[in-house]
Amino acid sequence: MADESKENADSLIADIHKRITEAFEIFDNENNKTVDVREVGTIIRSLGCCPTEAELTDMLVEIEEEDEAGYIRFEKFLGLMTKVLMERRYKPSPEDVLLKAFLVLDQDGKGYLTQDELAKYMTEDGEPFQQEELEEMLSAAVDPEKGTILYKEYVSRMAVEEV
Amino acid sequence: MGCTSSHSARVEDEIPKSQSVIRSAVLIQKWYRRYLARAEARRRCTWTIFQSIEYAGEQNQLKLYNFFNNMLSQMDTDALGQPKILRALSVSQRPVLIDTKTLEEEDNELLRLSDPDTIEVESTYRGVHLTFPLTQAQLQSLIKSFKTKQVLTPLNQAQLQSLIKSFKTKQPLHAKYLIQLLLETRAALKQKANINYATTSIAKQMTVCGDLHGKLDDLYMIFHKNGLPSVHNPYIFNGDFVDRGRNSVEIAVILFTCFLINKNEVYLNRGNHEDHVMNLRYGFVKELVKKYSMHAKRVIRLFEDVFSWLPIATIIDHKILVVHGGVSDSVDLNFLATIDRHKFLSILHPPRGENDTANLTDMQLREWKQVLDILWSDPRGQHGCHDNTFRGGGSYFGPDVTDYILSKHKLKRIIRSHECKPEGYEFCHNNKVLTIFSASNYYEEGSNKGAYVKLHGPDLEYQMVQYMSSKGANRKVTFAQRVTRVESSAIINLREKILGSKTELLEEFRKLDPEQTGKVNQYKWCSVMGCVLDMDLPWRTLRPKLARCDENGMVAYETTFEEMRIYHRYSGNGPTVTEMLYRQKDNLETLFRILDRDNSGQISMEEFEEVIQLLVKQQNMNCPLDQISDIARSIDLNHDGRIDFNEFLEAFRIVDSFGKFSEVQQQDLKSISSLDSIMTMKNCSFSMGTKRRISNLDDIKEYRP
Repeated sequence: MADESKENADSLIADIHKRITEAFEIFDNENNKTVDVREVGTIIRSLGCCPTEAELTDMLVEIEEEDEAGYIRFEKFLGLMTKVLMERRYKPSPEDVLLKAFLVLDQDGKGYLTQDELAKYMTEDGEPFQQEELEEMLSAAVDPEKGTILYKEYVSRMAVEEV
Repeated sequence: MGCTSSHSARVEDEIPKSQSVIRSAVLIQKWYRRYLARAEARRRCTWTIFQSIEYAGEQNQLKLYNFFNNMLSQMDTDALGQPKILRALSVSQRPVLIDTKTLEEEDNELLRLSDPDTIEVESTYRGVHLTFPLTQAQLQSLIKSFKTKQVLTPLNQAQLQSLIKSFKTKQPLHAKYLIQLLLETRAALKQKANINYATTSIAKQMTVCGDLHGKLDDLYMIFHKNGLPSVHNPYIFNGDFVDRGRNSVEIAVILFTCFLINKNEVYLNRGNHEDHVMNLRYGFVKELVKKYSMHAKRVIRLFEDVFSWLPIATIIDHKILVVHGGVSDSVDLNFLATIDRHKFLSILHPPRGENDTANLTDMQLREWKQVLDILWSDPRGQHGCHDNTFRGGGSYFGPDVTDYILSKHKLKRIIRSHECKPEGYEFCHNNKVLTIFSASNYYEEGSNKGAYVKLHGPDLEYQMVQYMSSKGANRKVTFAQRVTRVESSAIINLREKILGSKTELLEEFRKLDPEQTGKVNQYKWCSVMGCVLDMDLPWRTLRPKLARCDENGMVAYETTFEEMRIYHRYSGNGPTVTEMLYRQKDNLETLFRILDRDNSGQISMEEFEEVIQLLVKQQNMNCPLDQISDIARSIDLNHDGRIDFNEFLEAFRIVDSFGKFSEVQQQDLKSISSLDSIMTMKNCSFSMGTKRRISNLDDIKEYRP
């Protein structure tokens, strides 16, 4: 039994290693086991994690090279991400939690958010969006007929798309 | 709900409102960023698929050519009993007549054979009539006559009328005028040296455009944004005007016209697609045959010759080197200047004019390599200079090679093209090398932007201009939606490749599954896919879109094919042969065109069988030759011993277990037209399209193409 669980654990780690390796390689343009530091957040998120910007910065501090600013090496990335995935850190929020967050923003309890409201929150509060990120969100979130964000419908729709 | 959220539900009442707003904002932001990141990862994956398929095709072609060149060099070139294809190939390497002694005489023969005065223009011709010397007004007429408009928005009566009219006048330039144009262009290009020296002293600016590949809407976009060429608006067109897109001829006509009107302000560099051998495979010859039918042969031969007269490089203000591919450590511009560039009808053939093509002198080899490197090389991050194995020709050059070449010739920067980039351009080698690529939507609508670069001022500062041609629908599409759409297309293309190797893939899977469970682990599945298809793709990431897994993570490998297979109308159900033919489709097409000397679209049965036999030999395959004869006989519908090879090539279908079939995706780029809604990237809008989104297979029961 112990052997079997060890075997499972080994293959779990092996599996995690392969996932991390492939995700890294997708962004390793030069095939030289390094990626641009600005892409690390994207890679980590593409592996299923959902860290905040602050959490990302903390991670980067751990793996950034002192003498090679701007690049992240694979070995360090692998080490960190293996831990992150094994410990299931930065799990994405379930749909209902996400919905609650929108409910909080909808302080008047209207059932929807105006574009201005959402834009204000997203660009002024929390970890503000860049203009591009905001525009991208608005273009899919805004209901074409009503001109507002029907967040309940939006969250459900995104949950399906994410499959 | 997990513990975290219920904890915060209790605590929430005590936290001041603004704090909970901040926390909610952060939650939404991190969720959305993850969503975008996943889309970005998928976009990269998709890109890799398209590039892999593209370069595999190029490698494939070069392998084929090397194979034939080897066969040629081993055989006596005049021997009888030599396979027809070889004879045809060796003739296509030579100029028009085999007996002439010098290039001079050959050129005279060419002029005589293409004589446009023998061609009459019918009274029904509605296109533009050219007279020489060409004028700006004639250029405008040509541009107008080639415009295509697509109806996607409601029209009023007036718009409808002008639409009908435009369809009427949309005609290719008449063969007579095209030939005259080509002869004039040839004469003018002959005056140019291998290296153009461009200056910004008058205009104080220069515009450089990259690959256009027959995408007329992109050229029109550039002229719309940047104006037509003139003394105050000089242009460099950096090669690859033709192939792949549907309007290669029109692009060539317009660019050559611009050149003839502004001989000192329009600079044309040769690209690797200004090459007859490439044109046989990548669509230009096909387009010419379609548009010019009985005059096609003359026109094709003339284009081939004109291309060989295109200059190889342009240098701006003695500072910036502009070449199509790149450089290598053996590039020497002084040496390049001495070469007779006209010898290279095709870069993929050894230079012509020499009697014995088998044994080249060192000098000849050196000259050949020089031109090959300049037209085919790609920059890479690694130092040094290596053979470009991805493409099969030219080199990979590192930042050290760039520095070496620049300092050797006292130059500052390089501008090159040759590689498609998502943003239409890309810097590398410490910003000393700029790649500029002007064909937007190159792989698929929405796959990439196109760009051109303007150089300003005494320091020749760069200004990048990007664009993406669109079909003109008014609905906005998000980045993520666009990614999904392009991804669908890539997966469809990939599936076709997979189906083309079904037999071999199944063999390999079964070897690894001795107990015939029908399953292998993910690692093995990825390994087999990568090896058999010879494609270095992120297979693990792609797996959910290609095959089904069970709860234990074991892949049911037969689901990779979902009971589909390649079917050919004329080859019945013989899977091995059909698959092989499908895999070799592009090679087959190239070879058929070589054999089809009179561009009739037909070859004899013997020729057909011969081609396939040779391919079988080159690929080292086990293929029953009697099956090939059967196919040939079944295509010979008229029983006249001749086969319509276009029909043959277009008869492939993908069939599912119920015998239902779908069209095999056409490899040609879909041409996008309509200038009515030219927009830059920010306001980019186009229709959603009707392609089905490919979901993860683990979650859906049914899968239909």
